[in-house]
Amino acid sequence: MEKVIDLTPVARPKASQPWARKSPKFIASAAFASIIPAAITLAFIATAGLDFMAALIAIFLPLQVIAAALVGVSVYGRRGILEGLLVVATIFFSSFVFVLLGSVIWSVVSNGAAAISPSFIFQNNYYIQPKTSLEYGGVGHAILGSLLIVGASTLVTVPLGLATAVYLTETQGKSKGIIRTLLQAMAGLPSVVSGLFIYAMFIASGITTYAGWTGSLALIPLMLPTVARVTEESLRLVPAELRNGALALGAPAWRAFVQVTLPAAKSGIVTAVLLGVARVIGETAPLVLTTFAADRTNLNLFSGQMGSLPTYLFNYIAFGFDESIKRSWGAALVILIIVAILFISARVASGTRTKARK
Amino acid sequence: MSSRTYQLSAENVNVWFGERHVLKDVNLAFPSNQVTALIGPSGCGKSTFIRTLNRMHELIPSAGFGGKVLLDGEDIYGDGVDPVKVRLKVGMVFQKPNPFPTMTIQENVLSGLKLSGRKNPNNEELVETSLRRASIWNEVKDRLNDPALSLSGGQQQRLCIARSLAMGPDVLLMDEPCSALDPGSTRRVEETILELAPQMTIVIVTHNMQQAQRVADQTAFFLSEDGNPGHVVEFGATEQVFEQPVDPRTNDYVNGHFG
Repeated sequence: MEKVIDLTPVARPKASQPWARKSPKFIASAAFASIIPAAITLAFIATAGLDFMAALIAIFLPLQVIAAALVGVSVYGRRGILEGLLVVATIFFSSFVFVLLGSVIWSVVSNGAAAISPSFIFQNNYYIQPKTSLEYGGVGHAILGSLLIVGASTLVTVPLGLATAVYLTETQGKSKGIIRTLLQAMAGLPSVVSGLFIYAMFIASGITTYAGWTGSLALIPLMLPTVARVTEESLRLVPAELRNGALALGAPAWRAFVQVTLPAAKSGIVTAVLLGVARVIGETAPLVLTTFAADRTNLNLFSGQMGSLPTYLFNYIAFGFDESIKRSWGAALVILIIVAILFISARVASGTRTKARK
Repeated sequence: MSSRTYQLSAENVNVWFGERHVLKDVNLAFPSNQVTALIGPSGCGKSTFIRTLNRMHELIPSAGFGGKVLLDGEDIYGDGVDPVKVRLKVGMVFQKPNPFPTMTIQENVLSGLKLSGRKNPNNEELVETSLRRASIWNEVKDRLNDPALSLSGGQQQRLCIARSLAMGPDVLLMDEPCSALDPGSTRRVEETILELAPQMTIVIVTHNMQQAQRVADQTAFFLSEDGNPGHVVEFGATEQVFEQPVDPRTNDYVNGHFG
């Protein structure tokens, strides 16, 4: 009989990652090592009435560290001590960051949700007193103001940041070191100083009164380092072979950049712009000094005070009444939502067209 | 000798990286419609040399150059010569296939035109002829709009050759074009080289002795000994270099005794 070779594909079995298999001994001892400290901690909380966080840090964590080290030793021998400690440290610190971020978002969402309503989002703040009930008035003018102010500074900053990044990556310029140092210094510039500078230059000197464009101007030095550095990193990640390939085809440097390097770095550059916007959209100090605040909708960047979300939040929290604090939380939530919308839409827009090999 | 026209020739080419002298007094002539192979151990400067032939060399920040490279009698390093114009006439294929990842197969073939700001009245025809000349047309004709990265490594390399050919270069430089390819793809690229040879000047860097013997009309052996700058030890017809080398070092190298 002829030998038949069966080549029909077979569904992947569930257990197809032998490297991820843990020995029963390991699972048992690891479970043991987490259950015992947890049980002891719970017992302490129940009997001694300890605070949860205090118990977590003072009792659970040390016990967990000891238990992990013991499990490590029993499974791997001497090198297991460090292994166990590293596992505990990694889990602890990552969950710490996660909890931190989660609790910030949660407090904004839970406190701000009460304030959010169509009127809060679409109406402006005209005729509204700090104690006015939340049914009337809202942050419509501040949303538009924030978008205009940040939008204008983005329009200026992105070309500047891109140009800086191009200088740093694509050219053989001699001032790269200085530019990089300046960018770093700029990243450390306190935002209030930036605002004060613009205030002194344009407002205190009488060139203009409070106006939206001065706010945009004050945000530029805050945004520029982020945009430039992240763009630089993403341009640097584009393989030199692509650049050389384009040049070898007889492309002038600028075309090679625009048609090959830039598309390859697109998603990184979108991230750069996004991080830049996220960096400044919550800036309060420079705006208080430059655009000040307004209750009416002002869509003209070149004349008159302008409301913005951070200054609205700042003003209402300073009033200190229940209603006004609720409005502040609402404004905080609106900022978060705007950032989230920007983030998601930018991710979708930059979704790369290139697919991996099928 | 015959009345061959030397379309491309290097005269007393010297190269430095920083203060380090890496190539000394290279004199080579590349006759029209012939394939020249550059062989030699790693680090002997043959890749560096080939990059001087279309002025890609100067893109390395610390690079230095002395000598002349004549293309149709004109020194490409002469005053006022635009490197971009040189690269339009002298195409290059790299060691690693480098199709543009954000473009489709067809866009890659046409990328040279777009990148040099030229217009071509009949793009479809150009795509087909270029892909045919690079012997890849039959494999991709039904999926010209797929991303270039969906091709296999060997196909990508032939796509890169097609991309260069679409520019209609007089000279094609190939820097170890098959070093990242499997034997099947290597064979196809070699067939492509042989098909192209009657129409253009080809210079190919290779580590593969058999490849040099299969495709090249003439061969230059580069060597850099004991930290001295690399230079040409032997240059002549391929058969002669491989079978009756004048220099014992060439003999050792082509027979695999060192390197």
